[in-house]
Amino acid sequence: MEKQEISGNAARDAAALKALLPAQDILTFSFEDAVKRQYVCIFADALTDKELLAEQALRPLRAYAGDARAKAVREHVLSPEVRTERGLDKLAEEVLAGNPVLVWEGADEGLVVGTKKVNVRAVTEPPTDVAIKGPREGFIEDVKTNTSLVRRRFRTGELMIEMLTVGRRSATSVALCWLEGTCRRDIVEEVRRKLGAIDIDAVPDSSYLTRFLSDRPYSLVKQVGTTEKPDIFCAKLAEGRAGLLVDGSPIALTVPYLLVEDFQSSEDYFVPAYRATFTRLLRLFALLVAIYLPAFYVAAQLFKLQLLPVKLLLTIAGSIRDIPLSPSLEMLLVLLVLEVLNEASIRMPKYVGMALSVVGALVLGETAVSAGFVSTPAIIIVAFSGIGLYAVPNLIEETSVVRLAMLLAAGSVGTYGIVLVSALCLVYLVTTENFGVPLGAPFAPFVRRDLRDTFVKYNLLSLKQRPAALASPNKRRMK
Amino acid sequence: MKLSSRQILFFLAAAAPIGKIVLMPARLARACANDLLFPVLAQLLVQAAIIFCVLLLARREQTLYALIRDAAGGVAAKIAAILFSAFLLFAAFLPVVEQKLLVRSIFYDTIPVYLVFTPFFIFSAYLCARPLCTVGRMWDILTPLAAVALAGIALLSVGSADYGALAPAGAAGWEGFASGTQAACSWFFDAVLLLALIGRFPYTKGLAWKGAVCYLAGGAVLLFLLATFYGVFSEIAVAQTHAFARMSGFFSGMTVLGRIDYLFIFAAAFVMTFYVILPMQAAVGTLSEAFGKSRALPALLSAGINLAMLAAVYLTNFHTSQIIEMLTGTLFWLYPVFAAGVPLLLTLIFGRRTHETVS
Repeated sequence: MEKQEISGNAARDAAALKALLPAQDILTFSFEDAVKRQYVCIFADALTDKELLAEQALRPLRAYAGDARAKAVREHVLSPEVRTERGLDKLAEEVLAGNPVLVWEGADEGLVVGTKKVNVRAVTEPPTDVAIKGPREGFIEDVKTNTSLVRRRFRTGELMIEMLTVGRRSATSVALCWLEGTCRRDIVEEVRRKLGAIDIDAVPDSSYLTRFLSDRPYSLVKQVGTTEKPDIFCAKLAEGRAGLLVDGSPIALTVPYLLVEDFQSSEDYFVPAYRATFTRLLRLFALLVAIYLPAFYVAAQLFKLQLLPVKLLLTIAGSIRDIPLSPSLEMLLVLLVLEVLNEASIRMPKYVGMALSVVGALVLGETAVSAGFVSTPAIIIVAFSGIGLYAVPNLIEETSVVRLAMLLAAGSVGTYGIVLVSALCLVYLVTTENFGVPLGAPFAPFVRRDLRDTFVKYNLLSLKQRPAALASPNKRRMK
Repeated sequence: MKLSSRQILFFLAAAAPIGKIVLMPARLARACANDLLFPVLAQLLVQAAIIFCVLLLARREQTLYALIRDAAGGVAAKIAAILFSAFLLFAAFLPVVEQKLLVRSIFYDTIPVYLVFTPFFIFSAYLCARPLCTVGRMWDILTPLAAVALAGIALLSVGSADYGALAPAGAAGWEGFASGTQAACSWFFDAVLLLALIGRFPYTKGLAWKGAVCYLAGGAVLLFLLATFYGVFSEIAVAQTHAFARMSGFFSGMTVLGRIDYLFIFAAAFVMTFYVILPMQAAVGTLSEAFGKSRALPALLSAGINLAMLAAVYLTNFHTSQIIEMLTGTLFWLYPVFAAGVPLLLTLIFGRRTHETVS
């Protein structure tokens, strides 16, 4: 199809643009300047700041009496964000992005005025990553605001922000950020290549991009880091990663991703190293308990009673005596109830939450135990497991599936099933790579220097070098 | 993905003790009673020397198949690959049987159905289909885990051991030593596993020495575990199959804590699973290299080999003890021939550096 360009006839150009954008919220407005030259302004109703448009463009142009060339007209528009475009399709894209377009009699190019109005919520603390000590800012849905939050933290020309567009129809803005000289060039190019290869209608959220950025897109294991906090995002950029901010999503993406990242929290860097080490080990312990405890409980009951100390065994034996379900079925049922309660509590209105707690805790818990459907140890174990899972919130999707697999293996093969599923997980984890960086680093492959910021956190003064696993061209971050 | 020399050292340190603590201690106690450490020491020294030679061979940075192909042509290399893989599969049988016995007696209170061991072959088929180089990253994690597991078992057992049971040294005489050395042969073929990995890691300065030392360090752990085992059980050690899982069961704190030693036993069994599969994985890797680059070939070979192994294990289920006797008795000579003879022969032929052979 032949590309349409500005003709210089205001009415015809406006009609052509309106034909490209027939929706009713795309409005046109005509006015004349001091020499009775006709102008037509085309804009998207809800996306344009009309007051600003009038102040910066319409008012000065009404008094304009000069040349009709775009270059001359442009100089009389007071907006700091003005540019010219010849192609009507490009101009239409700008209108859809919220920037009004001006065409006029005798124009050689159209004028794009950057008076986009974005309704954004305030920068608040993200609910998924709360810090008691440390910054409380969180990303919001507006990519411009998010880039400003990043830019504020890096007052250096080395911070590169490249705006890309993804999505055939949504034309979602994606800001690719990296620190020049710190992030490997091939990582940036690979991100660009992968984003460029995306052919999808719309990108409603950054999570859509994670599949396209992963080397194993169907994998159970996540291969892209996520964060809602600018301070974490910037820290990751400073380590040599590339980051992506997606318009419409408060969740930023970082690559390459290491599994150990999700055991770290921003607060770890603001408290003494021994405290950070303790909390990281606690998270690891909680995660292991969440995954293994239900499985070991079932395996112990079914195949290996010796796993339990005698007194505990007697207590459990008393509790499970009249339970009609098999241990694995009982555990599966209670886990299922937990998942349902979890899902419902997220979706339902806050006011119903109290009722849900009553139903969950009393009706399902207390009554089910007293009615003899499930045993008290099963409820305790599932509760412990459920809480433990949330100690590492970024891995909930993966760990809940692994927990279920462990439970099924324990119920059918016993402890040896748990050993084999663990072995399978290990093989899968250590062989997964993304952007050439192994997910299991610095444990597999073993990188001794990088162990200083894993489950054991060294003092900040000992972390003089960037993670070797990321192979940053600039290895030293502190002298 | 490539192996690194560090990963090879990690593997050697862990391989020395981890595959030899199930049936071997009781078998050695039967052959040479309290002198069970001497045959093992001899085997360790021989294996360390052969590992040194194999690592010298690794200076060529060519796989075994590539070395033979360049020297004797494709057909000879293919035949060698088949023979080598056949030995690896033969050598894998005893550890697999050991693993089966271990699973059936340690992981269950009562004897479970035969099929309970089948998932092992499913996992093994998955692992064997992965490239041989993945071994490195796995042993990066498995070696520290093995260290923790063995240290835990040793710590819980030490208090119950009377090391005086090992005295007087040499009571079994030369005959006992010879008998023990013969019995131990079936468990010492680590150099062959290493042979399958050469060409997949870069040779770094002093790797040969470091490899031998790491293997001996792992061997020292094995000797300590064996001494503790005999110290715990003394004359009834001959009846204590699955040695490592039995010796820590007398820790006094268990009345309160329960069988916490099972945590270490399961961890050791976890590591052992990978060690047991390694010969099959090496066989698949060698055959895949020899017979084409098709992506489906490793998966097919892996499925076939594991299916055959599963059939062999279940078909011989009622004759397990006779099979073990045969492997450690009648057929023992096959192990030194391949585990010592072949690597030494290859070192003699290819051991010199490339620039030396050119002149």
